[in-house]
Amino acid sequence: MTPSSTVDLKLASDGAANDEKAIGIWKDSFNRLLKNKMAVVSIVVVLIMFFFAIFGPSLTPYDFLTQDLSIRSQPPSAEHWLGTDYLGRDVLSRVIYGARTATLVSFLVVVLSSLIGVVVGSISGYFGGKVDFFLMWFTDLNMAFPNLVLGVVLAVSLRPPAGRWMEQMYLSTLNPVFRQSSLLDLALVVVVITLVAWCPYARLLRSQVMAVRNYNYVLAARALGLPTFTIITKYIIPNAIGPVIVQMSAGMGSAMLTESALSFIGIGINPPIPTWGNMINEGLRQWTSDPHLLLAPALVLGLMTVAFSFLGDGLNDALNPRQWKG
Amino acid sequence: MAQYILLRLLRWIPGVLLLLFIVYALMFFGGGDPIQIMFSQEATDAFQPGNPRYEAVKEQLGLNRPFLVQFGDYVWKALHGDLGLSLHNGRPVIRSISFALPITLSIALAATAIIAIVGIPLGVIAALNQNQWPDNIILGSALFFWGIPTFVMAPLLMMLFVLYIPILPVPRGWTGVFTVNAIIPLTVAALRPMALVIRQARSAVLDVLSEDYIRTARAKGIPERVTITKHALRPVLTPVVTQMGVVMTNLLAGSLLLEIVFGIPGIGRLIRDGIMNNDYSLLLGCTLVILAFVTLTNLLVDLSYPLLDPRLRQAQRGDR
Repeated sequence: MTPSSTVDLKLASDGAANDEKAIGIWKDSFNRLLKNKMAVVSIVVVLIMFFFAIFGPSLTPYDFLTQDLSIRSQPPSAEHWLGTDYLGRDVLSRVIYGARTATLVSFLVVVLSSLIGVVVGSISGYFGGKVDFFLMWFTDLNMAFPNLVLGVVLAVSLRPPAGRWMEQMYLSTLNPVFRQSSLLDLALVVVVITLVAWCPYARLLRSQVMAVRNYNYVLAARALGLPTFTIITKYIIPNAIGPVIVQMSAGMGSAMLTESALSFIGIGINPPIPTWGNMINEGLRQWTSDPHLLLAPALVLGLMTVAFSFLGDGLNDALNPRQWKG
Repeated sequence: MAQYILLRLLRWIPGVLLLLFIVYALMFFGGGDPIQIMFSQEATDAFQPGNPRYEAVKEQLGLNRPFLVQFGDYVWKALHGDLGLSLHNGRPVIRSISFALPITLSIALAATAIIAIVGIPLGVIAALNQNQWPDNIILGSALFFWGIPTFVMAPLLMMLFVLYIPILPVPRGWTGVFTVNAIIPLTVAALRPMALVIRQARSAVLDVLSEDYIRTARAKGIPERVTITKHALRPVLTPVVTQMGVVMTNLLAGSLLLEIVFGIPGIGRLIRDGIMNNDYSLLLGCTLVILAFVTLTNLLVDLSYPLLDPRLRQAQRGDR
């Protein structure tokens, strides 16, 4: 965070066509990120979670669904490192499978919501006027109200029609995929969280587009007669990508949080598919006698959300040096 | 001033109506058949569509009117303090809410007080020790607690102070703000949003400290303590108060989770009951109350600007 690095950045962004300088920015940011110890630790934690999300379920010695009522609610032991739950299922396997659910949901949500946000934000910022006014008013409102409450309303009211639709699809195609309630849960959770999560991206992109819209190089592109779509995708969006990446990291953490919160309340992903949220809910029923059932998912979820929060902070410092502290 | 208030109201009221409309439409078209939910315990075939009893109830409740008419009717009645009847137990929704709301609000207000009393000084301390160890510790722990979800921190603290360091009783239910039972819930409620206030206060103090008039004050030889308390802190209030709207939003969302963990009979518990029983009218009422309180907080924040910042008293025309 020396003053010289910010000067570099300014020079580089002035010569936007210069590829070498552009790489310089990324390298510079990366070096800055590596200096932030908490961010590096967070990256490691997140990578470990991704690893377990992809390979974990095939590494565990137990299946996350297999019940063994003879070993119900056992404390941690050599065979079951994190003990067993009230149906005799291995808690470690369930926590690891929970990583898969959390990663899948948050990944899908981040991709979908950033896409929607980027499209809406660039339309709003580029065209301005009434469209912009309405969209910004709406995102303002969306961001002023608690996401979780809106999420609850959406989840509760989208479930019955989605369930009916799945049933109809099953009856007309007889494809057993449409009878899987876990698939319905997953799709619903992703849709619900996406619907409440796209607004920050839209606002970010809008402000970036507004800033860049009247730069000379955009005017030049317009004067050359390039189509609006090309101007937005080739000249404007690449300039806005830094803040979007920061928001994606924060968005991944908050999507994970919202998913587990909805599952915790009982309207997200339902048992028997394990998520950290519904495991915490189950653990709360008998936390005085079997604290390990609550401790394991709570600690893991807390670790992950804290890691995303530090990572987002580190990325923010690294990619937006003009906002650096102080 | 009147014009300013009017403009603020014009910004918020259509917004609340739009959100309420969306929520109403979602539940109207998405939720189940209200009559079947109401009579789900009784002989089901009597309350199928087409049955005369079903149609009679539908007629009586006004459910066969067009959607927009029903929405208008709902808003009109809501303005008069009538949020309809619960689909589950037939009690007026407003009565359930009037029992639950004071509990949720007292938690939110107590947490806000804690956040202001602890968070603002911490933010100021962090700013005055910029990039030194107090700053790093304060910012780091703020970020840490901001990262932990309510329904993770609540059980963990509960286990820590009830099971492993047994100094508190099992917190269950609600006995008031100033009782032992409230210690853990209030701590959890306050810790997470406190990060917002700490960060805002810190960056506001840093902004102010780089102003010319602070340099002038220092150059005049005014003691540093007086410079800070008399000259630097006043303008910090505006951005910090701005954050209060966000803090309130966070507290209300957090209350939903907090009340489930601790069995506190507030709005959050009502929402959970509404979810469990498919009680759409209860859910709608609770959502409306939350929308109303978030709006009210934001309005109060908007209205406090001219009080906090004299410059705004002169130049308060236009949208911004």
